[in-house]
Amino acid sequence: MRTNRLLEGLPPKERDRILGRCETVELEFGTTLCESGSPYRHVYFPVHGFISTVATLVNHQPLEIRLIGDEGVLGATLALGVDTVPLRAVVQGSGAAWRMAAGPFKRSLRESPALLRVLRRYLYVLLAQLTQSNGCNRFHEVEPRLARWLLLTHDRAHSDHFHLTHDFLADMLGVRRSGITIAAGELQKRELIRYVRGEIQVLDRKGLEARSCECYEAGIRDYAQVFA
Amino acid sequence: MSLSETPSPRQNHLLAALNPDVQARLFPHLERVDLPLGKVLYESGDAMRHVYFPADSIVSLLYVMESGASAEISVVGNEGLIGVALFMGGESTPSRAIVQSSGSAYRLLGQRLKDEFNRHGDLLLLMLRYTQSLITQMAQTAVCNRHHSVDQQLCRWLLLSLDRLRDNKLTMTQELIANMLGVRREGVTDAAGKLQKQGAIEYSRGHITVLDRPKLEKLSCECYAVVKKETDRLLPYLPHKAMPTSVS
Repeated sequence: MRTNRLLEGLPPKERDRILGRCETVELEFGTTLCESGSPYRHVYFPVHGFISTVATLVNHQPLEIRLIGDEGVLGATLALGVDTVPLRAVVQGSGAAWRMAAGPFKRSLRESPALLRVLRRYLYVLLAQLTQSNGCNRFHEVEPRLARWLLLTHDRAHSDHFHLTHDFLADMLGVRRSGITIAAGELQKRELIRYVRGEIQVLDRKGLEARSCECYEAGIRDYAQVFA
Repeated sequence: MSLSETPSPRQNHLLAALNPDVQARLFPHLERVDLPLGKVLYESGDAMRHVYFPADSIVSLLYVMESGASAEISVVGNEGLIGVALFMGGESTPSRAIVQSSGSAYRLLGQRLKDEFNRHGDLLLLMLRYTQSLITQMAQTAVCNRHHSVDQQLCRWLLLSLDRLRDNKLTMTQELIANMLGVRREGVTDAAGKLQKQGAIEYSRGHITVLDRPKLEKLSCECYAVVKKETDRLLPYLPHKAMPTSVS
């Protein structure tokens, strides 16, 4: 089975030892993997599936913070020495992932300097992503932000087709459903996507990149720079 | 600052919490610097030569867009340090660091900090936990920016600042507050005017005095309490301060 880009970055011997402590699981769309405030039971290295992390408020709709696919890991903050989950994590794209129990993962971090190094670099990417998304949420229009999220999803879905409900897109961007209807309609009119009842098809990836705000490219740049 | 305090690296709670042997190694290399209001310590993308441990100053980390617009993603005072990206292998910082409340800080060459990390001792452990508290603050700020009113955000921001000050007075220009909150200056004027009318603060020519802290807590969104509670949990070295009434 194909692995995950973070694991692929490890020396083969260390990677094999870590994979030996993992099991493969099938992530199912909509499953909540962990709730904020509870201790981590497992970490997940997505392969084909992907996961979204969500910040919740008492009286408002939640807000998507980021997507984790085969470029990342759910549970990186365990490397900070804190066992609790910072944000709720929900499966956003079905597919395979490697999973390891939190205990063996912490042991692996102690035993493998290479794993710890990769995880720290990934945490830097996470900080940069959080920083970028904060600015993006604050200042950019709905349509370029939607284009950005569709690109982030496209990168992790490994397919031109994926499923995103209207409600999910609204939470992703922190806007009303009507805002999504307008922005998605606009992207459709430009023939960049097709969007029918939650099924999205990317028709013109380059066009989507051109419509997106600066934040998509900045994210790619940060990742490439740190993992160069 | 109105209250005098003997200048010492121990004014920074993270430094104060280190083991004596770590302190003995690090403290001789710390340099006390004055941080005037509005000074930029780093632009985003800059290489980080030094890390800064605030003593009685407060530094804001801002995200800066290509258009020049900016908004605060987290605030750092005597509970932490500026430069966590260094131990993650990122040589540059993703945000702008700007002094939000003048005062002093202790700075240390980045290389010294890395040498200390590599000993895998106390400092690394504390910085890791501190990083987690920063991540919490950033995620909460994201959702707060999106869904809460400027009035609520101003309350949250004042309370976070207050926790890092020794008294209840803050010197700030309206423009700086507007850059923190990512809103127009008029938005800040309106919000501050309302708080003043309700007797929560006194505001004149860049000087803010907090008169009624419980009222600010009541008017703030939940985000202040969430961040405060998580920071206190993650950083047990912080001196005990009264918890906001809403989370006790």
